[in-house]
Amino acid sequence: MNHSLANPPVPLPPMPFSIPDARHLRLENGLQVVLLPIARVPIASLRLAVFSGEADDPSEKFGLTSALASMMTEGSARYSSRELAEKAERLGLDISVGSSADFLLASVSGLSIYLDDIFELAGEIVLRPTFPENELDLYRRNTIENLKFQRSQPNFLAAERTALELYGEHPYARIAPLPEVVRDISAEDLRRLHSRNVIPNNAMLFVIGDYNEFDVRKKIEEVFGEWPASEKQDAQHTPPNPRRQRTISVIDRPGSAQTNIVLADLAVRRNHPDYFPLLVMNQILGAGASSRVFMNLREAKGYTYGAYTRLDLKKNAGEFEATAEVRTQVTGPAIKEFLAEFERIRTERVAPSELEDAKSYLTGVFPIRSETLDGLTSLIVNQYLYDLPKDYLQTYRENVAAVSVDDVFRVATQYIRPERMAIVLVGDAAEVIPQVSVFSEALTIFDADGNRLEKAKFTNAESISPDEIAGKWDITLDFQGQEIPVTLHLKNDAGSITGTLETMLGNGIISSAEINGCRLTAVAISELQGGSIELSINGVIEAGTMSGTIGGPILPVPMQFRATKAV
Amino acid sequence: MSQCFNLPPLDIEAYSLENGLRVVLNRDPAVPVVAIAVYYDVGSRNERPGRTGFAHLFEHMMFQGSENVPKAGHFQYIMKAGGTMNGTTSSERTNYYETLPANQLPLGLWLEADRMRSLAVTQENLDNQREAVKEEKRLRYDNQPYGQIFDIINQMIFRNFANAHSTIGSMDDLDAATVEDVREFFRMYYAPNNAVLSISGAFDSETAKQLVSQYFGDIRQQAAPPPVDVSEPKEVAENYREFEDRLAPFPAFLIGWKIPPRKTPHFYALYLAGKLLYDGESSRLYQKLVKGDESVIQLFGFTDERRGPSSIFVGAIPKPEKDLSKIRETIMAEIADLALRGPSPEEMQKLHNQLLNDTVRLRQSSMNRAQAIAEFTLYDDDPLGVSRELDELLAVSPEDIRTATAEYINTENRALLDVVPAAHKG
Repeated sequence: MNHSLANPPVPLPPMPFSIPDARHLRLENGLQVVLLPIARVPIASLRLAVFSGEADDPSEKFGLTSALASMMTEGSARYSSRELAEKAERLGLDISVGSSADFLLASVSGLSIYLDDIFELAGEIVLRPTFPENELDLYRRNTIENLKFQRSQPNFLAAERTALELYGEHPYARIAPLPEVVRDISAEDLRRLHSRNVIPNNAMLFVIGDYNEFDVRKKIEEVFGEWPASEKQDAQHTPPNPRRQRTISVIDRPGSAQTNIVLADLAVRRNHPDYFPLLVMNQILGAGASSRVFMNLREAKGYTYGAYTRLDLKKNAGEFEATAEVRTQVTGPAIKEFLAEFERIRTERVAPSELEDAKSYLTGVFPIRSETLDGLTSLIVNQYLYDLPKDYLQTYRENVAAVSVDDVFRVATQYIRPERMAIVLVGDAAEVIPQVSVFSEALTIFDADGNRLEKAKFTNAESISPDEIAGKWDITLDFQGQEIPVTLHLKNDAGSITGTLETMLGNGIISSAEINGCRLTAVAISELQGGSIELSINGVIEAGTMSGTIGGPILPVPMQFRATKAV
Repeated sequence: MSQCFNLPPLDIEAYSLENGLRVVLNRDPAVPVVAIAVYYDVGSRNERPGRTGFAHLFEHMMFQGSENVPKAGHFQYIMKAGGTMNGTTSSERTNYYETLPANQLPLGLWLEADRMRSLAVTQENLDNQREAVKEEKRLRYDNQPYGQIFDIINQMIFRNFANAHSTIGSMDDLDAATVEDVREFFRMYYAPNNAVLSISGAFDSETAKQLVSQYFGDIRQQAAPPPVDVSEPKEVAENYREFEDRLAPFPAFLIGWKIPPRKTPHFYALYLAGKLLYDGESSRLYQKLVKGDESVIQLFGFTDERRGPSSIFVGAIPKPEKDLSKIRETIMAEIADLALRGPSPEEMQKLHNQLLNDTVRLRQSSMNRAQAIAEFTLYDDDPLGVSRELDELLAVSPEDIRTATAEYINTENRALLDVVPAAHKG
């Protein structure tokens, strides 16, 4: 065998990969059970899922389910918080309870020799939590502190506003509780919620790993068999209204060096039949570091460290989201590129090679994700919680492989709708607004606490006319302490402004500039050494002088400038 | 332990090519996945004064293309095959690894061999990767709250330059590097006789051996790199330093001790002492400080495992208005108690169960196995060491933990770094 080394080798024949079928049973109290004995490594994993999540909280008490999840490991009929931690860690067990919009999930796992203890602890935290007053008090204080901290994080502010814009009155609109609600959560609230939702006929138990099935069936009866069923409250939420127009929400963080950009729209629920075409389309468009938006916004334009799109599909609805954190002065140009990529994927069919690359990535990583018991367990749990087909995992790779160029085109046209997306921007509103108002007239501004701000605060009442701005401007640039002269020529052509920027890097062509109040926003493109360099100009005009910044991907920080109009 | 527990042994086969490349195969056909790890015996410990940051610079250079793989092509090939990959640099070694669908084993080996044989060390690649490293330093060290404290405490613990300087290195040193320096570094350290190739997962041994010899067999052996002196006096270099951190929102502190090398009985004992002190919600310091006194926001600790003198750290970010010196007294009192009385039987049971659980969980992943095996092969020429490590840890007695704690960490011979938020300084 003497292949040339010049070309990548041909793969070996593919190896079969199968996930064994699970077994199902239902206890008399209605608890559904999924069993999957796998003897690969001597560990076992127990998960108990409750089909009520944060979205099912009463709207004036949003945050209760999340508090319930946290408090379930802070004391039970038999153990204090400390004793629970000590017992679990003494046996090397992992124990946790978490919540999401749709579910609450308790999980205990560890060495199979401790299967009895895994069941005992699961029974304690799921069936008999006690919500001790001192632990609840610590939870309330730490959660309120944490909410304060989150409000300083731009990605939290962006996610919070995006959810509100997309979901409106639907409970998915909220991603974090209000501090005053957390402050008022009582042990009685938690007991009531626990007895209403954590009931066997609203739950599903998973036991996956290395164990004897006969013993486990006995154990399940012993621990969960006497758990009394009661009336299940089925919360019905009306689906969120489809969006009708493109909107812009700006959350003002004065002095931000970056803008967090989100462009989002409603998509589909997780178990929708279009899932696989959407998955492949999203892979091509923006799911990884070789996707279109990444190659454009990061590799070609240098606007950002990373730009991605993703699908966040929940039980009753879902969303498509594109995100990037960019330097403030390229906020407008970055949005323009996102919109252009959306337009391209929904109007032109993807190349067959792009489709094949995306599909081979998705089918290839699938077995890697199922290699560990934890990885496999979350795949199986999600399959059942989202009510996916019984052979979902077994047929996953075939379903990805079956997606065609036409399927991708169809779902892109149907679901990628730039004309009705919610654009959410967290950054310096005064710098951002002049760059983005061109994208939509429906623009609202908020502070970090969600209060509406007046637009007038960010746009000078005295507007500059195109005629006032046309002409020759002598600019003095501050480049690392050095003053550099540059000339800007602007021309008013029936209200549309064009021009040139003469710099040492050559002449940059300005094909369109925007005036917003007293602000000028323009992008100048110079051809240099076969590549093009983009400089963005942001200026404020006052009494015949202009000041602002000139920035671009080649500059680590934008340069300050002052300019006077030549007469 | 209450119940008998036997960990199945790993299937390991080790051999060397004629050019000195050490190869270890660990077959486990459970899932059709294969992991490849290449470990080069070069880390910051090999760097001389005026030449720092080279080992880490190579972690970047290795993705810049080679004879048959274009710039950034490595990543694209792996991604299109449905794989994942990365590389990291430490004081001890530089590693590169990928996990792939099992039938893509030839691709992974071809990519690793091509860059070992013919990395594109050009002026252009050197220039742009120097800039990338500077960007990384700004992002990960200079622009992060508490981002520099581990580099600082290493300088306080170690006296020997080989141990004390950081892996990111000096930007001046990188700027001074010529393309010739960098080529020479590659020739010496990225040679097959200075590397280990470790493969784990689902493959046929004969096929794997054939592919390894086909791709790596003709890469030329080089003269062995110069030996490294990492010896240290017992005393730390510096006992106290205050560091003003302009990004830190809260004060914090970090305590570090110098301890014996990895795999020594004392190192094992101190690794376990550390787990009892700071690992998990039932640990001594978590229960004292986070739960009991409610005085700290965050508590952390770890051991830095090296072939030469190593280190152990405990640090905390206290809640606002809490007395830092009181928190440190609590920490030292808990260490003194461990040095006097040793761990309780319950604590020993906890250690044993956690060691078993951790080992079993780590072994599920072919990438974790490939990396652990590569380390034992590179550091100790002992590919089977990975199977014995658990037994060696389980053999540590409470008395071993007590005496090691008394000798190495219940002592004034330690480094204390106080982090002061610049804004708070009065």
